[in-house]
Amino acid sequence: MPTTSTVDRPSNVSESLARGRLGVPSVIFFVLSAAAPLTVVAGVVTTGYGVIGVTGIPLAFLVVAAVLALFSVGYVAMSRRVENAGAFYAYISRGLGRPAGVGAAWVALIAYNALQVGLYGTIGVAAEPVLDRIFGGHPHWAIVALVAWALVALLGLLRVDINGLVLAALLVAEIVVILIFDLGQIGNPAGGEVSFASFSPDNLFVPGVGAVLVLAILGFVGFESAVVFSEESKDPKRTVPLATYLSVAIIAALYALSSWTMAVAVGPDQIVAAAGEQSVGLIFNLAAEHLGDTAVTIGQALFLTSVLAAMISFHNTTARYTFALGRERVLPAVFGQTSARSGAPRAASLAQSVFGLLVILLYAVNGWDPVVKLFFWGGTTGGFGVLLLIATTSVAVIAYFVRSGAGETLWRRAVAPGLATVALFVIIWLAVSNFANLLGVAPDSTLRWALPAVYPVAAALGVAWALVLRNSRPDTYARIGLGAASAVAAVRPAEQPPAPAATEVPR
Amino acid sequence: MLIADEFFLIAHNDSRGKAKLHPAATGLGLAGGLLGELILYGHVTVSNGHVSVVDRRPPADALAHTVLDQLIGESQHRAIGTWLSFLAQSATTSVGERLARSGVLRRQESRRLLRTSVSYLPIDLNAVAWPATRLRALLDRPDPPSVPDALLLGLVVAAGLTREVLWSAGPRAHHRLNVLIPALPAPLKELVGHTEAAVGAAVLRGVP
Repeated sequence: MPTTSTVDRPSNVSESLARGRLGVPSVIFFVLSAAAPLTVVAGVVTTGYGVIGVTGIPLAFLVVAAVLALFSVGYVAMSRRVENAGAFYAYISRGLGRPAGVGAAWVALIAYNALQVGLYGTIGVAAEPVLDRIFGGHPHWAIVALVAWALVALLGLLRVDINGLVLAALLVAEIVVILIFDLGQIGNPAGGEVSFASFSPDNLFVPGVGAVLVLAILGFVGFESAVVFSEESKDPKRTVPLATYLSVAIIAALYALSSWTMAVAVGPDQIVAAAGEQSVGLIFNLAAEHLGDTAVTIGQALFLTSVLAAMISFHNTTARYTFALGRERVLPAVFGQTSARSGAPRAASLAQSVFGLLVILLYAVNGWDPVVKLFFWGGTTGGFGVLLLIATTSVAVIAYFVRSGAGETLWRRAVAPGLATVALFVIIWLAVSNFANLLGVAPDSTLRWALPAVYPVAAALGVAWALVLRNSRPDTYARIGLGAASAVAAVRPAEQPPAPAATEVPR
Repeated sequence: MLIADEFFLIAHNDSRGKAKLHPAATGLGLAGGLLGELILYGHVTVSNGHVSVVDRRPPADALAHTVLDQLIGESQHRAIGTWLSFLAQSATTSVGERLARSGVLRRQESRRLLRTSVSYLPIDLNAVAWPATRLRALLDRPDPPSVPDALLLGLVVAAGLTREVLWSAGPRAHHRLNVLIPALPAPLKELVGHTEAAVGAAVLRGVP
């Protein structure tokens, strides 16, 4: 056996593959641009104050950030060992078995679709002031939503992922505007004094706390996607964990600050009433008072682009989920096909667009309120689905490391995921008992049970489908959870002899 | 004609040399073709996701020779995925140049907005359209295609070019295509599987 090491030798292969690899800032930019901060601050937080009526939202962001940071410890550790690392169901099928994985995949499809179509409910309101300024009038929300829908559907098919530089510029502009608005709000506190009441646990741990925590989770959706870049990052062991933690920290700081200053400017005792009345317009009305017209115009324009960017990003996420499932043959194989020229997952993208169109038309024909009943319900129901996925993934991480945890510290493979799991299930329990608060409906409304019940039903159907596959199509069953890499599993016979040493060329 | 050459012509089956396939899949499909040539000529083999060199004698083709030298020179890298990504970076240029050397294509540089782009224009349109036509005809015949042709078809499917080849073919051709890849010799089957996985991963990453 020669002892000379060949690893330190300069390598053309390593060097040319390392070129263009991503560092921490690029990965953070990617994660945050999917998070669309202004959509959350102007849309989700204000509607949340109004609908749920709990003033502890700023503290909720910090609590959820702590739980998600804890969750990420085991999550990023496992991500290095998982194919298809961007999708929660891949972890679940590795950790808890393939039937659970398919159940999770069904849940994920519903949750991400709900998040995406929910955004169509707010685009009309977001475009209203901008269109008013340009044309002096605005059409019905559904017309704006249909135009946005056509744009998203087209871009999804052409796979014109918006240029990274444009997204980064928009993101920076959004954050700057949010911070300026925050300064304006904190500089003009209601009653002349800055109140920290929003951070008092007394204002969070009230009936409705579960609803607020789900709302906060919704703000963080997208933090999980940093792991997609494991292979493309400069140093997967450092870049991806750091980018994940920093993204969670940045999102938490930004949202906690904004929701707190909002309450300070309106007054903690007034915020619920004001948000209920002004809804999405709240922070712009505050900015108009404190900062003047120009700041408002810029803010409103950026809110519009932010919602659009979020729509495109969630459309692509959903389409890629569907594509991965098509590649695995868990969904029909047609969903795993791409358009040759653009490489867009064509059928998957079309399916998502058709669903979006149906939902817009359903709401328009019935005249349902787009902001509360589409945007907020879609967002919170989707957010609840993502919460279920995160919690199940957390269990899967523990189960996985129990079997193959060699090389990971006790903290990473058991303690942190264990604590996160307990916290996440407490949040789920609170959320289920507060679902009426989350939706803003009467406690005896059927929706209060019908919407959260969608997920267990979908999960049960997914598990049943996986069991059918195990018996009828074992080769498909073997591919579950592998995403694009399932093509390799299909060609690899189950009982493969180890590589014969004879094929090795002696050097 | 060599596998990668035919793949190149199918992916650029156009009078102005425009690509029919997005760049990531084109590069990976060509990389699969280049490795496939070395496997077919018995220079390398693939098993358990690793490439191993079995015959170090120089192949007749200059590009195959270059690729083999790279495989021998950097033996610390054995994962087939690594080699596919590495070869994919330069495959469009290197295979395009090979076709230009053999007189099938003509290299043309054009400058647009400060950027120089290279395209390879067909010299004889029929010669360029031939591989796709040939594959389509193969699938209409009942007897199974030869191993190199089956590999080429496998790479076409893996890269997502099926529609370009089978745009007018009937369900029987589609059925033949589906049973073809599982029947490939093991190293080639693995090569096709890894190419398909790499193309899918590029789509999932969402970076064009």
